[in-house]
Amino acid sequence: MIQLLANWILSFDILSGMGNSVAWGLSLFIVAALIFVFVAANAIVLVYIERKVSAFMQVRLGPMRVGKFGTLQTVADALKLLQKEDIIPKMADKVLFIIGPWVILVASVVTFAAIPFSDTLLAANMNIGLFYVVSISSIVVLGIVMAGWASNNKWSLYGAMRSAAQIISYEIPVGITLIAVVAVVGSLNLQTMIQAQAGTGNLFHWIPIPLPNWFIFHSPFLFIAAFVYLIGATAEINRTPFDIPESESELVAGFMTEFSGLRWALFFLSEYANATLVALLVSIIFLGGWQSPFADYEGAQIGFSVITLVAIMWTLFVRAKTGRLSVYPLGLSLVITIAAWLFPGFAIWMASPGIFWMLMKAGTIIFLLMWFRWTFPRLRVDQLMYVSWKVILPLSLINLMGVAIWMWLTGEIQF
Amino acid sequence: MGRLHAEEMVLNMGPQHPSTHGVLRLKLRTDGEIVSHIEPVIGYLHRSFEKHAENLEYQMITPFTGRCDYLAAIGSEHGYAMAVEKMMGIELPERVEYLRVIFAEFQRIASHLVAVGTFGLDVGAITPFIYCFRERELILDLFEMASGARLLYNYIWIGGLAHDVPPGFVEKAYEFLDAFDERVAEYNQILTGNKIFIERAADIGVMTPEVAINYGVTGPSLRASGVNIDIRRTEPYSIYDRFDFDVPLGQGLQGTIGDSWDRYYVRVLEMNESAKIIRQALDQLPVEGDVKSAIPRRIRPPKGEIYFRSENPRGELGYYIVSNGKNVPLRLKMRSPAFSNLSVINEIGQGWMISDVIAILGSLDIVLGEIDR
Repeated sequence: MIQLLANWILSFDILSGMGNSVAWGLSLFIVAALIFVFVAANAIVLVYIERKVSAFMQVRLGPMRVGKFGTLQTVADALKLLQKEDIIPKMADKVLFIIGPWVILVASVVTFAAIPFSDTLLAANMNIGLFYVVSISSIVVLGIVMAGWASNNKWSLYGAMRSAAQIISYEIPVGITLIAVVAVVGSLNLQTMIQAQAGTGNLFHWIPIPLPNWFIFHSPFLFIAAFVYLIGATAEINRTPFDIPESESELVAGFMTEFSGLRWALFFLSEYANATLVALLVSIIFLGGWQSPFADYEGAQIGFSVITLVAIMWTLFVRAKTGRLSVYPLGLSLVITIAAWLFPGFAIWMASPGIFWMLMKAGTIIFLLMWFRWTFPRLRVDQLMYVSWKVILPLSLINLMGVAIWMWLTGEIQF
Repeated sequence: MGRLHAEEMVLNMGPQHPSTHGVLRLKLRTDGEIVSHIEPVIGYLHRSFEKHAENLEYQMITPFTGRCDYLAAIGSEHGYAMAVEKMMGIELPERVEYLRVIFAEFQRIASHLVAVGTFGLDVGAITPFIYCFRERELILDLFEMASGARLLYNYIWIGGLAHDVPPGFVEKAYEFLDAFDERVAEYNQILTGNKIFIERAADIGVMTPEVAINYGVTGPSLRASGVNIDIRRTEPYSIYDRFDFDVPLGQGLQGTIGDSWDRYYVRVLEMNESAKIIRQALDQLPVEGDVKSAIPRRIRPPKGEIYFRSENPRGELGYYIVSNGKNVPLRLKMRSPAFSNLSVINEIGQGWMISDVIAILGSLDIVLGEIDR
């Protein structure tokens, strides 16, 4: 993308004199700025969505005052945070206190460099993309420990120590789960990984249900692996039910206790950046990234009809179970289905890969994370370790072996 | 292999802490995550209730009682009014008794809703808390209809009630009760049966019946340990002997008898029982009757003393009143249930993790206004 942008800059007569390296540097800067803007805007939108989602789950309205339906609430909050006094506790380790939040933010923002949003929308097409993302995102823990230690507050220290233990424990099963996928693709390049999931095929290779070639449908082992990864990643980004580092009812605010104003906002920003990153990774690795779930426009028409059928069944189920009529899923899917049957252009657009599908999949995963957060209680720190070392780690090892055997059985690899 | 011991650290939990249910301060001696000693430090909400009472006329004390246990103001007022009435030998009209029971039980439901919701909050579940408060609002609406206030009512007066209930109250109360069982099922669905919740609450902070009795623990926390003591049943006061209700006991359904889960679940069951009592009381409520007819002009209890106990949502609420025949009590002592309940925290909370201590504290359901008085 950087080279494309540089070429585009050089194509203007007035700018062509600047030379290739200057143009390249300029486009590098532009891309970096774009990524940061994406992360910041994304956080603002997600905070609003999270507040609304939590409100609807809790029979409330959520923010309603600032802007229409409270849409400007998070903007107002961000402005308020910017204005707040910057407090550094007297006994804090000043240097670490200041750089801690920035380490976290930088580590979570630079990972987006390797994330492909579509076949061209990709800052750096690295052949070790997955490795890069996993390794850079684990720097976050360093910033958390820095911030927690520097605050010179016992609660912060507890939060930081818990966080370090938790993130390091969960890195291992998550890494092994990802290796299982890498074994299938044979590459660490995220773009290659997405391209390997193109087209449609049978569910688990043999069951004759036509489904996209996504890795979640590749084998039962990768199906489990997707959930193992989601659980591990939820723990890695410190979200409920694994939010023990900042568990507000126990540790006040964990490692963030002493932070205020802009520095606190940085933690918030990186939290949502990490959540987005995990959602994007799940959709890239297991859900086919920017690939459309439909092979062609006929596939789109049939697929949407199936979705409508599911929506009808869902509506009937909800009606029978609670006596309430929830028409929104049904109405939405009906509208899309009718549009897909009436306008082939719409169906073709739906069937073509692109950033729309990437964001749709990531959005679904983020909604899932929010759903977890507002439904589950929090685990205790030793139960968290139990889940990691005694449940998820063995499961991921079995998955890795299982995937290898599966590939040998299906003839994807020969010895 | 023994457990590795590291240097101990003293951790001050509170008085400003999200989960100490007010301004309680816990001094924790911690070894890593394990808490080896808990020392509750109280008094941050001390308002000299008992000293105030020595300088106030009997009827002027009523609003102060509500401020002690602010989540169950009617319970405190009811106990106080009954104590003074017993001293003076006042016979109450039937309608007053029924209305008092109805409000006391509504208050019990409201108080348990807060207890259940905040316990969920303590273990990290936020949504059930909001659900509980949704129902509590409906109860507070009923209180507002009757007394005009939503938290501190000053509704039960010595010898009667401040006002009769307005028209439409009974219908609205029935309406609430009809929907309530379904709502309790909703809490059970989202919290009680949740695997993570059970992991966090079951087998944590087990209180054996011996420990509970030795520390003077009363109320749901005692009954969760399997001790069948409910003053409404063992020494029926007011008109509680006319109603048919069960006293839920801890059964160790998910772990051991007397664990935090039991203390939580006993409260959930008690809400259903209270709803049952209210329904019976509403059915039997006499239509006629002046709620103010028995209010004495001059409140001067004869010389003597009385200890009167009643079942507050948190346990046994006792009033010890010494009268020298004047319009001001010589001494008023309040035996507050949460004070005794809190004293057990070191015994049952030792050796657990910080997170568990918070869960145990939440399961005891304390109100600091009443502990500090």
